[in-house]
Amino acid sequence: MATQDAHSEMEIEELRERISWLIRLRWVAAVGVVITVAAASRVLDVQLSELPLYAITAALAVYNALLWAMKWRLPAVSAPSNLAAFANIQIGCDLLFLAALLHFSGGIENPFRCYYVFHIVIASILLSRRATYVHAGIAVGLVSLMAGLEAAGSIPHYHLALIEPHLYSKPVYLLASLFVLATTLYFTAFMATSIASTLREREREIVHLSRSLRQHTDELEQSYESLARLERSKSMYLHRVAHHLRSPLTAIERMLAVVVEGRTGALPQRAYETLDRSRQRVRGVLDLARDLLALSRAREAASSAEGAVNLAEVAANVVNDFRQAAASASVSLQLEVGSGLEPIAGDPESISELFENLISNAVKYTPSGGKVTVAVGRRDDQIGVSVADSGIGIPEEDLESIFDEFYRAENARDTGKEGTGLGLSIVRAVAKAHGGDVTVESKVGVGSTFRVVIPALPAAAVRSRASETAASG
Amino acid sequence: MADATGKTILIVEDDPDAADALQILLENEGYGTILASDAPSGLEAARSKKPSLIVLDVMMPSGTEGFHFVWDLRKDTDPETRDLPIIVLTAIQSAAGLKLHPEKGDADYGPYEYLPVQAFLEKTASSAELVGTIERVLANPKQMHDAGK
Repeated sequence: MATQDAHSEMEIEELRERISWLIRLRWVAAVGVVITVAAASRVLDVQLSELPLYAITAALAVYNALLWAMKWRLPAVSAPSNLAAFANIQIGCDLLFLAALLHFSGGIENPFRCYYVFHIVIASILLSRRATYVHAGIAVGLVSLMAGLEAAGSIPHYHLALIEPHLYSKPVYLLASLFVLATTLYFTAFMATSIASTLREREREIVHLSRSLRQHTDELEQSYESLARLERSKSMYLHRVAHHLRSPLTAIERMLAVVVEGRTGALPQRAYETLDRSRQRVRGVLDLARDLLALSRAREAASSAEGAVNLAEVAANVVNDFRQAAASASVSLQLEVGSGLEPIAGDPESISELFENLISNAVKYTPSGGKVTVAVGRRDDQIGVSVADSGIGIPEEDLESIFDEFYRAENARDTGKEGTGLGLSIVRAVAKAHGGDVTVESKVGVGSTFRVVIPALPAAAVRSRASETAASG
Repeated sequence: MADATGKTILIVEDDPDAADALQILLENEGYGTILASDAPSGLEAARSKKPSLIVLDVMMPSGTEGFHFVWDLRKDTDPETRDLPIIVLTAIQSAAGLKLHPEKGDADYGPYEYLPVQAFLEKTASSAELVGTIERVLANPKQMHDAGK
């Protein structure tokens, strides 16, 4: 029922607007009559009784002015239930005015009798189907009455000088004219009301659809918000788990380090070796915990991509952090940054992880004297990151699995260097989370080049919130 | 405590084992040490004992206590206290992330703003790295971390 009220609310609003339009239109009609009468009489030299015509037009103007005033002042007039009556009365009066004008300018002879069509069309827009037919009937009735009375001589006939005399009293002419008028008006009523009713139906559908759309948008907004809340609590949980795992492990490692480094006193050789190995194992678990956390976060990265990433800056930071390690390994480390790099939408932490893992691998698996080149650039709407090294390379049979979790190529394991096997999984997860991917080209003994491609979504355009468009819509 | 370097370091760390290990390391390297297990007692110690340097664990229980320690210290009325060099030990976030993206703000510092400390170190850094960073900061106590710039 609420929807029905809402529908009629819209229709009431429209009815009000259209009645205002009708009143404005009537001004135009009044001016039109004056111009037509003046032109016919002065310019075309048609004999007319101008005075009554001008008088009727003046009355029309006054009537319209009254309607205009009433419209604004009287709430009773604009009350929904009275609006239809208001329209009906206006149209009825308009029919009378036209009849009066016709009477004083030739009656049934005046070709302007077909102007009743306008009233019928307007009625079909403002009123119901039945009311429109009724008005058509009234129009035909008025004209018939006027023509009949003139023909019978009961009221005077004001002759239009253009027309053959006494046409108005010829029965055949009368009947023919009235028949044409009646059929014109009824068919017009039929067509106009059919069109109007179809249009109204469409309007109703549109209102319904837009209401439905708004509702769905609200629901979507709510879902989004609860999802965001869920993500945040999941993320916090991960952080807390990580903290509770890593804190004690760090403390253990630090305590072992202090003993192994001899800072608590001299150690027997066996004790030293055993404790040192323990320390390394703890180190391994810490690295694993760190990488697992990074992997989890990388997979979540898409949903928290409300941040902006300045790739050049992140790359520079990470390269800086690795300068010392590269120097100690006698590996040259270079960064090349292309032009036109704007901040993109993404998670800065994850992107940092991506660089760290790629560069860490490159430095770790490149022998002394080798070279690592990091490049960041933009082409069209994509960002490209590449890390190329002159390291041990990846055997062809390992290339497929190199991004799998915990996978380490045999030649990597043979170097004796530590690795969790998660580094490249993290890189791939971050790339995918940002809508991109990572590929590798490699040759054993020559080196490897890892390429990451990410679509460059501008930072401001992250996930346009449906709420904003719905609120303004 | 006998300290060959003549310098005292305040260790603000809530994990007692990690704190003890740090203490052993630093004393072995010739520094005097003061221990504080939370931000309030850390601030108190900074004001009253005037250490040469503070080593701060940022991941204390609430997750933001460490940040607030830094901001509260940097607002202190006594310039000696206010400008004490700080080395932040981080565990969860990479050092790069922490420099630029601390997650909570303060009255004076918004989130994602520069944290005014001299250096960042991963908690898992080696003894050599820790000692090296301490020496570097003590040599140049006014030099803030460069946030990669």
